[in-house]
Amino acid sequence: MTRKIAIYGKGGIGKSTTQQNTAAALAHFYGKKVMIHGCDPKADCTRMILGGKPQETVMDTLRELGEDAVTIDRVVKTGFCGIRCVESGGPEPGVGCAGRGVITAINLMEELGAYTPDLDFIFFDVLGDVVCGGFAMPVREGKAGEIYIVASGEMMALYAANNICRGMVKYAEQSGVRLGGIICNSRNVDGERELMEEFCKRIGTQLIHFVPRDNIVQKAEFNRQTVTEFDPDCNQAQEYKELARKIIENEMFVIPKPMTMDEMETLVVKYGLLD
Amino acid sequence: MRLREISIDGIPYDRLRVEKIPAAPEYVPRDPELVPASNRSVVVNPNRICMPIGAMWAVLGVHRAIPFVQGAQGCTTYARYTFCRIFKEPATIATASFHEDAAVFGGRQNVIEGVRNLVVRYWPEVIGVVTTCSSEIMGDDMVSFLKEARARLSKEIGEEKTEEIAIVLINTPSFAGSHVEGYDRASRAFLESLATTRDVPSEQVNIIPGMLYPGDIREIKHLLREMGVEGTVLFDISDTLDAPLNPPQEIPYYPPGGTPLAGIRQMANARATFALQPHAGGSGARYLERKYGIPAFIGPVPIGVAATDAFLENLSRVTGREIPSSLHEERGRLVDAMADTLHHTMMKRVAIFGDPDVVTGVTRFACELGMTPVAVSTGTPSKIFAREIESILAEYKEIFLDEPKVFNGGDLFEFEEYLKTIPRLDLILGHSKGIDISRELEVPLVRVGFPIYDRFGYQKKPVVGYRGAELLLYEIVNEILDYRYPDDRTQQL
Repeated sequence: MTRKIAIYGKGGIGKSTTQQNTAAALAHFYGKKVMIHGCDPKADCTRMILGGKPQETVMDTLRELGEDAVTIDRVVKTGFCGIRCVESGGPEPGVGCAGRGVITAINLMEELGAYTPDLDFIFFDVLGDVVCGGFAMPVREGKAGEIYIVASGEMMALYAANNICRGMVKYAEQSGVRLGGIICNSRNVDGERELMEEFCKRIGTQLIHFVPRDNIVQKAEFNRQTVTEFDPDCNQAQEYKELARKIIENEMFVIPKPMTMDEMETLVVKYGLLD
Repeated sequence: MRLREISIDGIPYDRLRVEKIPAAPEYVPRDPELVPASNRSVVVNPNRICMPIGAMWAVLGVHRAIPFVQGAQGCTTYARYTFCRIFKEPATIATASFHEDAAVFGGRQNVIEGVRNLVVRYWPEVIGVVTTCSSEIMGDDMVSFLKEARARLSKEIGEEKTEEIAIVLINTPSFAGSHVEGYDRASRAFLESLATTRDVPSEQVNIIPGMLYPGDIREIKHLLREMGVEGTVLFDISDTLDAPLNPPQEIPYYPPGGTPLAGIRQMANARATFALQPHAGGSGARYLERKYGIPAFIGPVPIGVAATDAFLENLSRVTGREIPSSLHEERGRLVDAMADTLHHTMMKRVAIFGDPDVVTGVTRFACELGMTPVAVSTGTPSKIFAREIESILAEYKEIFLDEPKVFNGGDLFEFEEYLKTIPRLDLILGHSKGIDISRELEVPLVRVGFPIYDRFGYQKKPVVGYRGAELLLYEIVNEILDYRYPDDRTQQL
């Protein structure tokens, strides 16, 4: 059975970085067959897996060559450790409808049979917040079954995570999608781990892994590689390996209980971030 | 400006035809660069309408079914208006009635409340939920909305009664195709959600006619009856959109006929599926073939001699029934009529436009009559169309006076401009939207295809089958006689 996973989180939090590193760890350390479907119009969800190769997106192909030209051969590329990558792409900022782009791209991939049953994991890497029906597409019925939210101990990241939970509760009852946990992509703020753990407890989920901050991630990124590929023995690669293991073994899937604004503020005050 | 003064009594008949003069002295002829539709960003006189209307047409062919349109009111009003113009029958279509708030918050509440209201007031057996552009762009998660709608219903009317109502979701983003595709998607959606089990295989055949008129569907049923074959026609509008006028009926009113729900469920047990139009119903037939191994015969639409022969031969082969003498006689009468009028039809130049499958069917028939199809056009571009029309044209190229021109996609402006460039044209075969071309070029238009709203009776008389072809032939010959031969007794029939 293929596990379909959607990764959400505030913009700039490190979703794509975390997601690509986790996917690389799943493939490299555990021999899993992985596919990544990038749903961000910027189309930057797969560059480290593909070694910086610019990938022709589904929407580029649709715009320039028409719907018939969209074939698996053209838009699905294979990168590090056999990880298959596809990017939805989308319009330039300020024009068109990126949400519809996500719907169209996922529908096309399903029609073409790109999500083959031999895959162990499919990751949907989704832009920022749940902003419109299109960006919630990956969590509709029969699509992703589990969600992981990337956050850090910063106020706005938690607000965003809480907001995403509010959005997914609606879908959880109908489509059966569940929250698998929060991944903390550390920003080295004071009391971060404690705050995150408390936050997870309040919304009824787990802090599945605390990924410490390490410059090697940026270094690998400059080299257009994931940490696992850049230096599989380094400490940070082990962290992603650990995260991958926890995802494989994860059994805690819940419908989150998002907090109210007041609760959020009290929580932040408690950990002294408003001084 | 040379405008004639119109007297206070109006325009007398002899002055009805106004002399054609350019609208302004500085009239500039059309830029040839901009004539091909592919060079333009604007469509002039489109040869297609929108996807939801095809799906609504399909739903109206199911017994006690009501389409529910997940969109703004206009998406429903224009369809009801179109059906009314064509069939002169009321069409009950429900709408989610999107307003500004639905555009912002999505159509969830509209569909949940809307389905509930529809059920408690009309008690339909089937609801065909048809989406629209706005709903599709907003990304309404219809599958889960409909689950919620069902949950809401069972709370109010009980689980048992909710179970009895079939809800079929048909996704029709209009920007992704034309009405033809809408009908096609409906055929697949209905079979996918209702024909779910193959348990007791039967001798029946499935017929998916495509967007053919009530008269055509009656003719197909006539062919089946003569062959002694039992069949289910999916989307049988022959009674629902051509109902007899009866004394006041019970309220809510449902027209008689339509494919019954039980019949659609049984389609999974059939021995073969005939999708008469590859572009409108082909997906449904292919689905049954893939899922249950039911052989699919896709096209050609039985218009003219060869295509009707092919349909009956396939039917005969599948069911093991001989083609009866009555049908041989019908065929004989058609061939006789063709022979009797060949001197009028042969070597006539004809232009044909409409939906892809009807155009291929009519083109083949025109070739059988010895005509030259100088231009054929469809507004729904397709590879199948290109391939089929090419093979027909190749088969008859010996008799052609000119090289035919094929427009695969494009609009009627492009078609008209091309027709103006050819030296001689005798006849146009197409739907009502060609009337301006016909008047402009002073070439008769024989109405065939969808939509026909400016003449009465075309919905009731067939063009398919041998008898349908004969009726079409009469029209063609009479139009040629009207336009090409003066009524001065020097010509004898």
